[in-house]
Amino acid sequence: MTTESAPAAGDPRRLLADMRTLAHRVRLDQRMTWSALLVLAAATLVAIPFDWFGMKLDCAPDGSCAYARRGMLYYWPWAMLLAYAAIAFLHVRAARARGLGSRVWPYAITGAVTTVVFPGAWVALAVYFSNHPYPEGPLPYWWYVLDRLVMPWGMIGVTLLVLAWLERNVALLLFTVGYLVLVLLVLPMSDGTRLVHWGGLRAQMAVPQLIVGVVLLLGALGFRRRQR
Amino acid sequence: MTAVTPTESSDAAHPVNGLDEVVHQRVRLGILTITHEARRVEFGYLRTQLELTAGNLSKHLSVLEEAGLIEIEKGYEGKRGRTWITLTAAGNTALIEEIGRLKQLIARVETADPTEDR
Repeated sequence: MTTESAPAAGDPRRLLADMRTLAHRVRLDQRMTWSALLVLAAATLVAIPFDWFGMKLDCAPDGSCAYARRGMLYYWPWAMLLAYAAIAFLHVRAARARGLGSRVWPYAITGAVTTVVFPGAWVALAVYFSNHPYPEGPLPYWWYVLDRLVMPWGMIGVTLLVLAWLERNVALLLFTVGYLVLVLLVLPMSDGTRLVHWGGLRAQMAVPQLIVGVVLLLGALGFRRRQR
Repeated sequence: MTAVTPTESSDAAHPVNGLDEVVHQRVRLGILTITHEARRVEFGYLRTQLELTAGNLSKHLSVLEEAGLIEIEKGYEGKRGRTWITLTAAGNTALIEEIGRLKQLIARVETADPTEDR
């Protein structure tokens, strides 16, 4: 970039192109995608023992079990708040060290707001089913998708879409779409996998969470490598 | 035969006439663009990105500050002095208007009759 004044009727196309290039460079320098994914991976992996030991399980002699994932209910709201506070802190600190302001606040605030979605849905369902009978027969598929969406792992994906938009980060958008497909359509996040034949229901619930944690961790490593 | 001269109103409507001399300068436009994107930017970052000397950058920053388009905040982080620049509301408006005028100019050039200048 030169210091001479642009002539009044200079090359506006080139000026606009220069402006776009500078804006893009700033966006790249503000990115801290990997740290957000790393914190979320840590929160997801730490949740597993809370879910395992906090699960209330009542099994009948015929083998059928009723369960309540109390550990998740107590763990996730605080974990989400702490995670998004940590992400905001790390982003602001890194941006400041690079001599820039940060764009992370809308993401962190959205994340903190989604904290109430899971306990809110849990309470709403508990209140509803205290007055209504459980539906007969298998639930429709959309019910499972909606259930997985309001769970913390679904909300993590929805909030990552906000980060992808703020960072104008196409790679993160693609990663998030893949992640959402995994947690909403592939992994049985709410009822556990029947493919695990050891450890009972607790292990069946833990395995999908472990997969999500590892995916987020691999994402963090991938974005870290890409940023270098 | 009479010579056709542009009317006063059509001349005034030309986007070139609306260009702000303070903003319509390559470096100052770069400063405003970076500051707009970054929300807040440090002097050193601007100097590196715009490939300027400290003195040269300071002169451009003074022009923008005097025009009320940016705010300059000086402080310390440990023993190291740091200067942070933020865009004012006027600076934000000036940048948006400049981009609008540049786009108008491009559109005008692209739609102009090629025989007009002959």
